[in-house]
Amino acid sequence: MKDHSGSVTESVSSYCFQCVSGPDLMKVDVIDGVPVQIRPNGSAASIHPAHGKVCVKAFGLIQKTNNPHRITTPMIRTNPKKGRDQDPGWREATWDEALDLICGKLREVQAKGLKDESGFARVAASFGGGGTSTQYMGTFPAFLKAWGVVDMSFGSGQGVKCYHSEHLYGEFWHRAFTVSPDTPMVEMVISFGANVEASGGVCGVRRHADARDRGVKKVQVEPHLSVTGGCSSQWVPIRPKTDPAFMFAMVHVLLHEVDRGRLDIPFLKDRSSSPYLVAPNGFYLRDPETRKPLLWDLNRGAAVPYDTPDTDPAIEGEFTVSGIEIGADDMEWSHDGVAVRPAFVHLVEHVKPYSPEWAAEICDVKAEVIRQTALDFLHHAHVGETVDINGHEMPFRPVAISLGKTVSNGWGGYECAWARTLMAVLIGGLEVPGGTLGTTVRLNRPADNRWSSVVPGQDGFMNYPMNRTRKGEWESHPNARHGHQSLIPLAANSPWSQALGPTHLAWMAQAEGFEHMPKPTAPDVWFVYRTNPAISFWDTRAVGEAMAKFPFTVCFAYTLDETNHTADVLLPECTDLEGLQLIRIGGSKYVEQFWEHQGFALRDPAAKPMGDSRDFTWIATQIAKGTGLLGAYNKAISGGAAGVRLFGENFDFSLDPETEHSVEDIWDRSCRAASAELTDGAETEGLDYFREHGFRTKPFPKERWYLYPVMVEQGLRFELPYQERLLRIGQELGARLHEAGITWWDSQLREYEAMPHYQDLPGLWEGAQERQFNVKIEDYPFWLLTARSMQYSWGGNAGLQMIREVASNVAGHGGVVMNPAAARKLGVSEGERVEISSPVGRTEGAVILRNGIRPDVLLMIGQFDHWKTPFAKDLKTPSMNGLMPMSLELTDATGSGSDLVKVAVKKIGGRK
Amino acid sequence: MTRWAIVADLNRCVGCQTCTAACKHANNTAPDVQWRKVLDFETGEFPDVRRAFVPVGCMHCEEPSCMDVCPSTATFKREDGIVGINYDICLGCAYCAVSCPYQARFRVDEPAAAFGKNLRMRHETKREDPARLSVAQKCTLCVDRIDEGLAAGLTPGVDMAATPACVASCISGALAMGDLDDPESNVSRLLREKRHFRMHEELGNGPGFHYLYDGDIANHEPIEPAPMEAEPVGLAAVSPKLQKNWDWRAAANFTFGGTGTGLFAAAMVAGLFAPVVWLAVFFGLAFTGAGLFCVWLEIGRPWRFLNVFRNPRTSWMSREAIAAIPFFGLGGLSWLLGAPALGWLAAACGLFFLYCQARILRAAKGIPAWRQPGIVPLIVATGLTEGVGLWTVAATLWGAVAGVAPAPLTAAALALAVLIGLRALAWRNYRAALGNTGAPTPVFAILDSPRAALFALPQAGLAALALLAPVVPAGLGAPLLALAGLGAALSGWLFKYTLITKAAYNQGYALERMPARGAGLSAPGIKPGWAKA
Repeated sequence: MKDHSGSVTESVSSYCFQCVSGPDLMKVDVIDGVPVQIRPNGSAASIHPAHGKVCVKAFGLIQKTNNPHRITTPMIRTNPKKGRDQDPGWREATWDEALDLICGKLREVQAKGLKDESGFARVAASFGGGGTSTQYMGTFPAFLKAWGVVDMSFGSGQGVKCYHSEHLYGEFWHRAFTVSPDTPMVEMVISFGANVEASGGVCGVRRHADARDRGVKKVQVEPHLSVTGGCSSQWVPIRPKTDPAFMFAMVHVLLHEVDRGRLDIPFLKDRSSSPYLVAPNGFYLRDPETRKPLLWDLNRGAAVPYDTPDTDPAIEGEFTVSGIEIGADDMEWSHDGVAVRPAFVHLVEHVKPYSPEWAAEICDVKAEVIRQTALDFLHHAHVGETVDINGHEMPFRPVAISLGKTVSNGWGGYECAWARTLMAVLIGGLEVPGGTLGTTVRLNRPADNRWSSVVPGQDGFMNYPMNRTRKGEWESHPNARHGHQSLIPLAANSPWSQALGPTHLAWMAQAEGFEHMPKPTAPDVWFVYRTNPAISFWDTRAVGEAMAKFPFTVCFAYTLDETNHTADVLLPECTDLEGLQLIRIGGSKYVEQFWEHQGFALRDPAAKPMGDSRDFTWIATQIAKGTGLLGAYNKAISGGAAGVRLFGENFDFSLDPETEHSVEDIWDRSCRAASAELTDGAETEGLDYFREHGFRTKPFPKERWYLYPVMVEQGLRFELPYQERLLRIGQELGARLHEAGITWWDSQLREYEAMPHYQDLPGLWEGAQERQFNVKIEDYPFWLLTARSMQYSWGGNAGLQMIREVASNVAGHGGVVMNPAAARKLGVSEGERVEISSPVGRTEGAVILRNGIRPDVLLMIGQFDHWKTPFAKDLKTPSMNGLMPMSLELTDATGSGSDLVKVAVKKIGGRK
Repeated sequence: MTRWAIVADLNRCVGCQTCTAACKHANNTAPDVQWRKVLDFETGEFPDVRRAFVPVGCMHCEEPSCMDVCPSTATFKREDGIVGINYDICLGCAYCAVSCPYQARFRVDEPAAAFGKNLRMRHETKREDPARLSVAQKCTLCVDRIDEGLAAGLTPGVDMAATPACVASCISGALAMGDLDDPESNVSRLLREKRHFRMHEELGNGPGFHYLYDGDIANHEPIEPAPMEAEPVGLAAVSPKLQKNWDWRAAANFTFGGTGTGLFAAAMVAGLFAPVVWLAVFFGLAFTGAGLFCVWLEIGRPWRFLNVFRNPRTSWMSREAIAAIPFFGLGGLSWLLGAPALGWLAAACGLFFLYCQARILRAAKGIPAWRQPGIVPLIVATGLTEGVGLWTVAATLWGAVAGVAPAPLTAAALALAVLIGLRALAWRNYRAALGNTGAPTPVFAILDSPRAALFALPQAGLAALALLAPVVPAGLGAPLLALAGLGAALSGWLFKYTLITKAAYNQGYALERMPARGAGLSAPGIKPGWAKA
């Protein structure tokens, strides 16, 4: 290929996995060793759902690689004082010097023990991008595995800026860490703030465009008209944080305003907990002998255990039955001839008060809009129809409900996740073609295979690795500083769980600690990679102050930024286009990324490392060697910690444990193992093959997108509508916490309901703000929200000129979006600079007027307020993060909060 | 035959700017230069609001107004419909930029440096292309990909490698590219199946960029023109903006050129009745030359100025340049030799030069305030009025120096008054027509402000002053007339300076229909930042 300059270019295969909607495959054009252009990978068109395309963010990688602001040599801090106002006094260092310093600190930790006096891991690590950092850190996960216990609770947005309730409840109910409509088949999507056109990646965008092309009805319910709202058939500007009322009213319509026969009765009877009889104390009535929940069999006219063959379970009616009831901590009641009703009847009664008319006032949405939305949902559900997917006949239910950020996290997240999943169950649309799917497993195992993760648990439901709450089993000394093992049963206890705990509690604890929890400590060594919590978390001032007290911080640094300003060592690693790595692609993973192929893709260096940057795998190997962990590290790599297990039934490319392997050797073996895995050992091509082809795949059966076949095969039910297990766990958790003297988590315990009641969430927020800061809420008349931006989200690319340039074409970037009527009242006009303040902070920005936003709402897209990151610090773009209080009161039972705060606006003069 | 075209499905587009970025990569465009970009439109008032994303760029028009005006023939249209630019002959006058109603053309004078001149990145230096500096640039439809792809047996629009980068990279599948002359091509099929429009259809460029806005072509109904929205909320990015290509230097050409040629003609006409005022002749040439010198300072590649003569077939700028040659040649000789006959020929050339200037503005299709038909008589009248006005000044000075009256005062006064009147009439007609067709909202406020300087009252005052000259006591008449003449000239200059540098808002963007999204319905579009007045 020839560039217009006449130079010969080569094209290098790579991938973009900067966000949780990846990976996508691309080509990097290189002239004389300089990466100059990103292109989609046309050769992947047949295996990639978005035809081998990458989104706008990937195009920022050229500037990212060639950025003159990059740190290209290790740096060591000379000023022991840390803080925003301190000059770190960086001095350049050799790699030997920097690694000696780091390994020395780590060896000190090894000598002292991996846990400190409070029982917390002495080594902490924070990685950004919703886990996507792993796709760029080479073999560093193998080092962490070799090391042992590591605290990952210092979040950089996890919990407060993700779909947290969806992650936990989704994984609990249907192995759905991330949830998606079956977009390729769906007919109607009701989206509560899910901004898929901005954050759904290329697969999401392509599939939703295809859906629009075939006439999908998409209703976007959100306070401002996002990019996704703009792409929808209808926009419903709901009052912030009242989504549960809207959804409860939809459930009400489905259960109280339409014929029961229009629901999927067989699905409710056989695939849900609807027929389980509920005993007087709220737990299932159980067979005394088998201790299994009972249901009323219409065939036999008797109550039988739920798994009795040839039953016709009743989901309505009242029956007189005898049995036992098991509550918290094995408390047991015996009932003799007690009147009980199926869970479904309890559900019907539960939602009776929640009519559209009731919700209308709360949501500021007309009742008929809510009612019609529910009826449209039912109309498009095609209840009773089936479709054949590769020989599997499955229900065809082409309707789904999506939840966005701020809807699916923080208080109200449970209500929304429950109502959404429940509505899918009511029409038989959960995990079936066209309906509501999980796409990722994270907390259950195996994590790379949703079908295999379906393991029978108790009571006919799937198993779930809850953190234990029973007496004697509860963890009173968590090893992570946010205490997820003690506080969040649903966060489970898997490698990913730490990232899904209440990560802001780790930061809050640094300031004052929590009563009757282990004394808060700073980590002896903190590793940071691809994240900037000093910008991306809440109450950024407090976070910055906390990290400034950490004694030894190692940042894998790209440019100077607000977090590595407090580091002790900066290590320049090869960036996206310079490092070598092999990752898994395809199957069913992440947001909208469910493919009909699966395999591996190579990130082949397109350029030599800038300056003295080093490949992450080399760095990991050196640290492993320097800490005496080379053997364990090599074994971890061989075992699959770097993405692919190096041995199998008929192949073995394992590393020699005691040898220091080169970067190329490690990844060549990984490539060979990947080839062998994909071909059952028939072929073992290595790095050269992947360099030539970029990726290698095999078909992924489409039926594996859906859990339905495996649920039927195993005779399992989805654990809806009734949450008996959570009710019990909540009571047990409360008992354990109270036994430990902990009462500050009491309000979170109220989330453990069998079925959630509506709570006044706007009032909760306003009240919390008043109580926490002793202010009058009238002085803060606007709700401040944020939204994701395809150009910026997850990319860590606020310092790239091209990203700013193209993002500026999308309205809302770079300022605060305001309704013109609200602006008139304030006497401000387009482009005028204003101050936006909450009780914890202030930010400044230019007014951007748009009609597509509620008059009581302000919007700030993305996360800015940089003061150190080159280029980004000069953008003068407002950010809500510094305005967000960290509040225990606003932390829900899953440990998450919502990006939502009431703010005041003041003219400050000047224009953008 | 082949006619390459792009079809953008507004139902599919999500405004992600991937095409924008891919274009920047593929074509190595400078920071803030976007050959392809996607606009963000919003219509309605809360809570009934719609949003649409609209890809724009060079439309590769059937009748490209940029090509017709190009004086150097750098801009060309290929048989397959692609409009291109020969960077090696473009002189960087930016006439094409003000003549494109789609704001598709750019001129970049400095090498790319996204993070500043002292921090140029290695890919910026590696891909530096000096040939593209200080000349016009725009979307090429990635013509190299197309040509090389065709040579390799690939099909543009089907094979990624042969398809423009924007289309190849489009993640939503909103952009399609193909051959309109092939009924089986993807674009032909889309246009058969779905309702569509072209932007600014009324301007007659025949853009090769089609927008799909709804399905079901069977229900196709004529689209009403997008309603004008004088002060749209949140649409500053898509509303008309003041052009930056032509500044005071271009304005100087119109002011001095108009004045100079008008002055020269006035001197020669007056010479019929009295001795020629050679001072006026000299200044006529000098003014015109000064104007051309100013505009020469503005062009990007000043040493390619001779290329301005290459396109007399369609470009009024070439014609203006060509007219300048005999004007200066004959006029100069006339002045040197004191030969009125040569002066007469030169005056005719000068008047043609003046007419060319008027037609230059008329042909600048990208600027609504210029392209009005009424601009032609107005610019001609203005030039003549300024010329006569300055002639009265020169004549008065000459009279004072030489001690003779160069022409009957009454005739001169009458001529000036009549021209002031004609200019006022031309202004009124121009302004009324502009009000009827509509224009970018700020244009009216600017043209109706004192800076436009052609209002009836002051102009009447100048005319009255001129008419007073013959009736005031002897000795006062000439200075009075000179005063009126100076006023006429100054007000003309102020008007043209305002017209070129202040009222020159570009066309902006309009959306004929807001697209249907999925099961939704399409709706009326918007022409933001426009009004009639």
